[in-house]
Amino acid sequence: MEGTATATGFEPRITAFVCNWCTYTGADLAGTSRLQMAANTRIVRLPCTGRIDPAFVIKAFERGADGVIVSGCHPADCHYTAGNYHARRRFAVLRELLSFMGVDERRVTFSWVSASEGAKWRDVVNGAVERVRECGPFESYRALAGGV
Amino acid sequence: MTELRELAKKLLAEGAAKVVIGWEEGPRGVRPAFATDAAAADRLVFDARCAHDLAPYLDRRRVHVAKLGRPAVVVKPCDARAVAGLIRETQVKREDVVLVGVRCGGVLADPEAGGTLSADTIADRCRTCDSRETALADHVVGTPVEPLAAPSRRDARVAELDAMTPAQRWAFWQGELARCTRCNACRQVCPLCYCDRCMADKTQPQWIESSPHGRGNLSWHLLRAIHLAGRCVDCGECERACPSGIPLGLITRKVASVVADRFGHKPGDDPAVPSPIGTWRSDDPQEFIL
Amino acid sequence: MNATTISSSDLSGLAADLLAARVRVAGPARASDGTVEYRHAGAPAELVLDSGVPRRSLKEFFLPPTEPLFAWRTGAGGRVELLEAPLPADPAVVIGARPCDAAGIEALDKVMGWDYRDEPWFARREATTIVSLACAGFDRSCMCTSVGLAPDTTKGSDLLLVPIGGGAFRAEVVTAKGARLVAAYPARFRPASGEAEAEAFRKAAREKVAASAPPAADPLRPWLDAHFDHPLWREASLRCHGCGACAAVCPTCHCFDIVDEPETVGTGVRRRNWDTCQTPRFTIHASGHNPKNDQPARIRQRVLHKIVIYPKKFGEMLCTGCGRCSRACPGGMDLPEVLARIAALAGGAQ
Repeated sequence: MEGTATATGFEPRITAFVCNWCTYTGADLAGTSRLQMAANTRIVRLPCTGRIDPAFVIKAFERGADGVIVSGCHPADCHYTAGNYHARRRFAVLRELLSFMGVDERRVTFSWVSASEGAKWRDVVNGAVERVRECGPFESYRALAGGV
Repeated sequence: MTELRELAKKLLAEGAAKVVIGWEEGPRGVRPAFATDAAAADRLVFDARCAHDLAPYLDRRRVHVAKLGRPAVVVKPCDARAVAGLIRETQVKREDVVLVGVRCGGVLADPEAGGTLSADTIADRCRTCDSRETALADHVVGTPVEPLAAPSRRDARVAELDAMTPAQRWAFWQGELARCTRCNACRQVCPLCYCDRCMADKTQPQWIESSPHGRGNLSWHLLRAIHLAGRCVDCGECERACPSGIPLGLITRKVASVVADRFGHKPGDDPAVPSPIGTWRSDDPQEFIL
Repeated sequence: MNATTISSSDLSGLAADLLAARVRVAGPARASDGTVEYRHAGAPAELVLDSGVPRRSLKEFFLPPTEPLFAWRTGAGGRVELLEAPLPADPAVVIGARPCDAAGIEALDKVMGWDYRDEPWFARREATTIVSLACAGFDRSCMCTSVGLAPDTTKGSDLLLVPIGGGAFRAEVVTAKGARLVAAYPARFRPASGEAEAEAFRKAAREKVAASAPPAADPLRPWLDAHFDHPLWREASLRCHGCGACAAVCPTCHCFDIVDEPETVGTGVRRRNWDTCQTPRFTIHASGHNPKNDQPARIRQRVLHKIVIYPKKFGEMLCTGCGRCSRACPGGMDLPEVLARIAALAGGAQ
């Protein structure tokens, strides 16, 4: 994954970690409804936001993602009752920690998108792409390792 | 001191403990001690140089320590919070350890240099600690102490960093983390880092690159901080142990303040209080979620 | 021995000359937290000579904590192409190395050039000139005199500076490389002087270190050979946390790990990284069996490798007595104390 700065401008690459039951289905709905939206995301489907380890987010940046979206079921809607509540606490900390270590907050987007909210998914994606576009490419994390 | 030594001797003589883990004079100031007899118990000390957290010696992986038999551990309030964490997370059974609490007014920022405790010499983490003795202990020794009023330089530094732009913070941390060689001292001395197989040691998948380049170092310190969120007891050992002088306390302090602000949680010495990451409330703030 | 004299202002000037000639200059400098570390200097003023033992040793200039060996790329037809890392050949001069650190580098030449010649190591060795500063003895963890060295040892140094008072140093030329440095910047050096002062400094330093250092380690070898399972190791390692701080700061711990790190699909870098024998991961087998399964075995390994195993194989000690392991240990382990203990046991056994 890497963003490319081209003559036509920078196109961010965004990794979206979504839960199977709500957001993935919502994103599916956005597709079947033929909603137009930015094509900058790559979706990784997981059973629940509770399964989305902060390490996934870090790994995505490490591998060159310019932005990350984490999305799941609204509070009280979790297929597993409380996975999203656990995730909410974890990501509240992760978000501020990343920022403290120098990662621009605009690169990480969290959202609740239900299975019926195809239009909301479109807005979340479009908003995330715009915010990451403002930040520019995030090559600096991957490049920290240096080469030969 | 006499009180501590007499208690240690009594515990050993009565068989309440087979080893008393405390501090003794060493070649370079005080250091952890493992007293198994009266003579060794008579060498135990406690003063402001006793910065070492002894809770890590309760780690089940330290088989050579466990072989000594049932332990009594001398704990400052921060160390007691660490033991509470181990009990909470089912690493230690309360009844398997004797806890000797020491009344603590803080430790020295530079324990090796020695000297008296003052607003200038007190360790930064002790400036924000409001616990003078622990309720978790079986025995408490020492005289009651008043806290020293000293502003926290660490909190001031965190606030400075918070006020910077992300790019400035990135540059600051890359400068600091460039010195990390991934010796793992920060992990090994941490009382709450007890995983039999650390995420950083896994290779399939390799979540954290083992190379001490900027990328591996940043990922390691991010993951370490996340795993300690709400669990870190601010014993200061990671920063003290770091042979490269990386200000790790800034990271743990920042995360602790996030946990305190958002979830109203401060790590304490009551094992029955759940860790904030691992529990939840339906009305937790979620202003950052779209 | 060929000698010359240099003033501290000329030493500073020498650093400036070198930097102007695009030679990398490294030496002790202040870190962000005020402690001293060896670092590449951008200006002569950054160097702080004789201001304490730098946090880590000099070895990282020759064996960096991490270094790329080669990159790979899957090309057309699935063929894997390798791109080797260029050999580091930038000329460099270390100014103000501690003699114990310089000695460590020479000790490591043996293992680095033994069955296989470690090319990056020797490339850096050849490109680097080491100017050491004789040490006055630093603190009670110093034990160079116990391992056959001294605070003024010339081992591993190309040039040894000895303070002769008045901010000047007597510079002893140890190697041809050192002679070349002196010859290249003649304006910075004066005719040799201060022989008596230098000798007095060296004698005082040796006496100071010897006064608190443990007995010589060499004679302990037979006892160590005969007492592999002595309870000493269990007792001595109780307070050990099994971290690698000692190895990270050690001038002679040189074990490394080799890892392949993918970058993108089909590309990646092979790197070598510092490793330490103090973690279980160092020795665990694929089967799950671990021949060094507890901390006493790992501590014994570290001590024996330095005092018995390496000397038997290469004829010299793998410890220079710098004392860093004692200073860095968060658990208060102390090598001089362990050696004194062994000496007492060995004395009693005879």
